[in-house]
Amino acid sequence: MFAITPNALSNFMISLSRYVILLSLVLISVSIFLIIFLENDYYQGISFKIMFIHVPTAWLSLAIFLVMGISSIIGLIFKSPTAFTVARSLSPIGLIMSIIVLVTGSIWGNLTWGAYWVWDARLTSMLILAFIYLGHILLLYSFEHFQKADFAASILAIIGLVNLPIVKFSVDWWTTLHQESSVLRMGGPSMTNDYLITLLVSFFGILMLTIFWFSNIFYIIVEKRKMERSILLND
Amino acid sequence: MRIIKLNKQIKKRFIFLLIIFACFSTSIFLISYSLKDQIAYFVEPTDLKSMDGIENKYLRVGGLVKTNSLKFLDGNWIFEVVDQNQNSVNVVFSKTLPNLVEENKGIIVEGKFIDNIFVAEIVLAKHDENYMPQSAIDKLKEEGKWRGN
Repeated sequence: MFAITPNALSNFMISLSRYVILLSLVLISVSIFLIIFLENDYYQGISFKIMFIHVPTAWLSLAIFLVMGISSIIGLIFKSPTAFTVARSLSPIGLIMSIIVLVTGSIWGNLTWGAYWVWDARLTSMLILAFIYLGHILLLYSFEHFQKADFAASILAIIGLVNLPIVKFSVDWWTTLHQESSVLRMGGPSMTNDYLITLLVSFFGILMLTIFWFSNIFYIIVEKRKMERSILLND
Repeated sequence: MRIIKLNKQIKKRFIFLLIIFACFSTSIFLISYSLKDQIAYFVEPTDLKSMDGIENKYLRVGGLVKTNSLKFLDGNWIFEVVDQNQNSVNVVFSKTLPNLVEENKGIIVEGKFIDNIFVAEIVLAKHDENYMPQSAIDKLKEEGKWRGN
């Protein structure tokens, strides 16, 4: 990873992004079609269909933080500008994903539990994750030199990695109002196959959208630095 | 020569990060371990047996609504919350129940014990992690594998 320059990765991602967005649009349209014609849950009725946005974005907000943390570790150890730039371009996406999780979750919660928000372990740790994303972005833009900002923000990302197992396993370690995991759990998924397929199609659609979004943010950061460098050299 | 020096630096940075991570994860573990009773959102009726001074204490009790116990009497909802060990708590609630409160389904009640009856101020429905359409349940019932109500 430390042998790849930001420029090479940016060119590679941008060359792929056309196919990625096409795949994402196809998968998201298929998943919308599937969600509309899916049979309702026997207990929750139609309100459970918000799961097909809630669960993929929840997985992604955790997965993005994992990638961010690992690339921060690589960046700090090997002094790799590519890894730092990956972490820098992922955090706004992660923040948006965690906000979507919290908003869709509270709509779903109001429809099923009867409350928009409660302070149980899963909901609180997810809110903390969103605040760590916000803190990461604020740290990135609170220094004059981006190298210093990358250093400070990557320490925060590494510390924030501690929160990931807490979000994932909070429903198993403590009693919560939030239900337990349905797919990534011991003993296989606890939903019927048509729901599972719809969930996975929706997940891969949003994953492809995330990759497209990431490559655009990465490209913009790299091009902006190139421009700044050329202005400095011309002066 | 240069490569050896670089490896040393990389090792140093790696150990530095490892120490940061270990310190923070230990502190988070200790905090959450010592606060585990506060982090738990509710207690089950079985846990109440070993707790003392529960009278007039604000509590959350969770479990299933016992079969054939949900009744509407004199403007109050009356039901029993039961857990896996068949210990139960009598609950009275005077407001509107959430839509998903049904017998043999999860529930969390928030309130106080007054004369051994739990007077709930907030009732939340707790649904589980199983999702399936009615047609799948009908199929399971035909095969005799359905274990719900």
